Amino acid sequence: MIRLDNVSWRRGKKESGPVLAHLSFAVPQGGFRWLLGPSGAGKSSLLSLLHLENLPTDGQMTILGKTVAQDEKRAALVRLRHRIGMVHQDYQLMPDLSVADNVALPLRLQNRPEDEIQDEVHAILKWVGLGERVDVPATRLSGGEQQRTAIARAIIHRPGLVLADEPTNALEESQACRLLDMFAELSAMGTTVIVATHNESLVRRLERPFLFLERGRLVEEGDAQA
Amino acid sequence: MTRPFSGRKDGLSLSEALPDRSLFALVAMMGFLAALTLAGASGARALSARWSGGAAQLLTIQVPDANAPLAAQGGGSATTTRVQAVLADLASLPDGTEVHQLTPPELARLLEPWLGETDSSALPLPAIIRVKLPPDASVPATLEQALSTHVPGTIMEHNARWGERLRALANSLLACAGLALLSVGGIATMITGLATRTGLASRKDIIKTLHGLGASDSYIAGRFAWRTATLGFGGGLSGTLMACLPLLLLLQMAAPFASVPLTTPERLLPQNWQALANTIPSDMLCALALLPFVAAFICWFTTQVMVRLWLLRLP
Ligand SMILES: Nc1ncnc2c1ncn2[C@@H]1O[C@H](COP(=O)(O)OP(=O)(O)O)[C@@H](O)[C@H]1O
Ligand SMILES: [Mg+2]
Repeated sequence: MIRLDNVSWRRGKKESGPVLAHLSFAVPQGGFRWLLGPSGAGKSSLLSLLHLENLPTDGQMTILGKTVAQDEKRAALVRLRHRIGMVHQDYQLMPDLSVADNVALPLRLQNRPEDEIQDEVHAILKWVGLGERVDVPATRLSGGEQQRTAIARAIIHRPGLVLADEPTNALEESQACRLLDMFAELSAMGTTVIVATHNESLVRRLERPFLFLERGRLVEEGDAQA
Repeated sequence: MTRPFSGRKDGLSLSEALPDRSLFALVAMMGFLAALTLAGASGARALSARWSGGAAQLLTIQVPDANAPLAAQGGGSATTTRVQAVLADLASLPDGTEVHQLTPPELARLLEPWLGETDSSALPLPAIIRVKLPPDASVPATLEQALSTHVPGTIMEHNARWGERLRALANSLLACAGLALLSVGGIATMITGLATRTGLASRKDIIKTLHGLGASDSYIAGRFAWRTATLGFGGGLSGTLMACLPLLLLLQMAAPFASVPLTTPERLLPQNWQALANTIPSDMLCALALLPFVAAFICWFTTQVMVRLWLLRLP
């Protein structure tokens, strides 16, 4: 369960206006939301709040049932991050690691046993269609492969919340469809999924509730894109 | 199980972010300096201890006109010579005191550098008496006074006065060594801090990603600190080993002053390592052995603090 009450966020101190202002919405566990809006509206910024990369400067935010205080204990934030998966717009893969080691990271950071990690990694890489690219260095992947690696890394630890920032940019049409099916499946299995995009055709393909941002404000919240 | 913080496949690639060359070499130099300083400090301490221990117990007494009869003073027997009177007075010193009047040959040997081989029996030499008090005894404060009134002209030299001065010198040397060690530690801290800052700057994005993936502060700080501590240990060890050669040479030169007789220089060969090792003060040996660990700790601690402070910018 995700809930924001009158959440605002400004970058740095008071030098500029808030990037996000007075956001209030809720997403039930297992819910799917498109996060829409023009470029610069604040979609990435909102995802960074939900991923706890930044904390709200105002208002109250509840992530996976836990209300995050402004001065939350760092250890509590770490525990909460272990339950979130994030696909960044620029993938943020580790250039020095292979596909498998990149994908294994969330599990290694949670100190899972190594044999369990190997099994999970191979299974998920097969699922995203990278079963043949396990040992390839991340820097030698195509854009689409990097994106699928990032997606595999975001879901390997079975998080309760998956966030994705423009995840279909580098994907071909057929792969984008496959990805949408994947997100729908995750949501059906009880994972909350929030996907930021400005790709209208994508949204029409998977009709789900949406949040529409404009200049940092939530201007529309609807059941499906008209 | 993987080891806690080393060799993890987490993309930090610290062997590149914190390369061996700079930190290792600089810490090695610091270790070298620290080892030499420690050796100096240990030497000063040993000398200070010896001077304060031995010298304070030694007295030298000169009796001019030693064989002249003691000027009759009250009931003194007319056949007592002045030196006999002094020796009689010294008999009252605490048990275990060694009193030794130098024999004419000993006296001649003592004076040879000044008088040459001339027959010194014609010269009016004073009698010299060496007094060695037992370790826990001290010179009675009234002794000098009593001797010079009883046997006028007697001169008492108390070596402790020299000992005091030498000990003060040794103590100030020790203080300097302490300051030098503190400076070396401070420089090592700064070097580690700079290296860590460079490492953090070059891994900024990767750390942010790791943090977002759920790496705790202690994990990231531990990874960096483990790396700098390893380099610090290696550097400290190399520096200490490098310092061993000059230290052995110094030790050889200091050997004549040491209480344990050392081998002659040409015998300083492997079969005498044992003998040589015995002459190294054990406290210095301990300090030298600890040096790599202290270097590792300084690096570890500095890096832990720096990384944790840096991470505070990420929630
Ligand atoms: N690194 C940054 N520094 C300063 N301002 C930024 C930065 N990134 C984005 N912004 C600004 O913050 C606002 C929100 O950006 P963002 O959240 O990236 O929007 P979106 O993802 O919807 O395109 C925009 O006005 C953008 O110009
Ligand atoms: Mg964006």
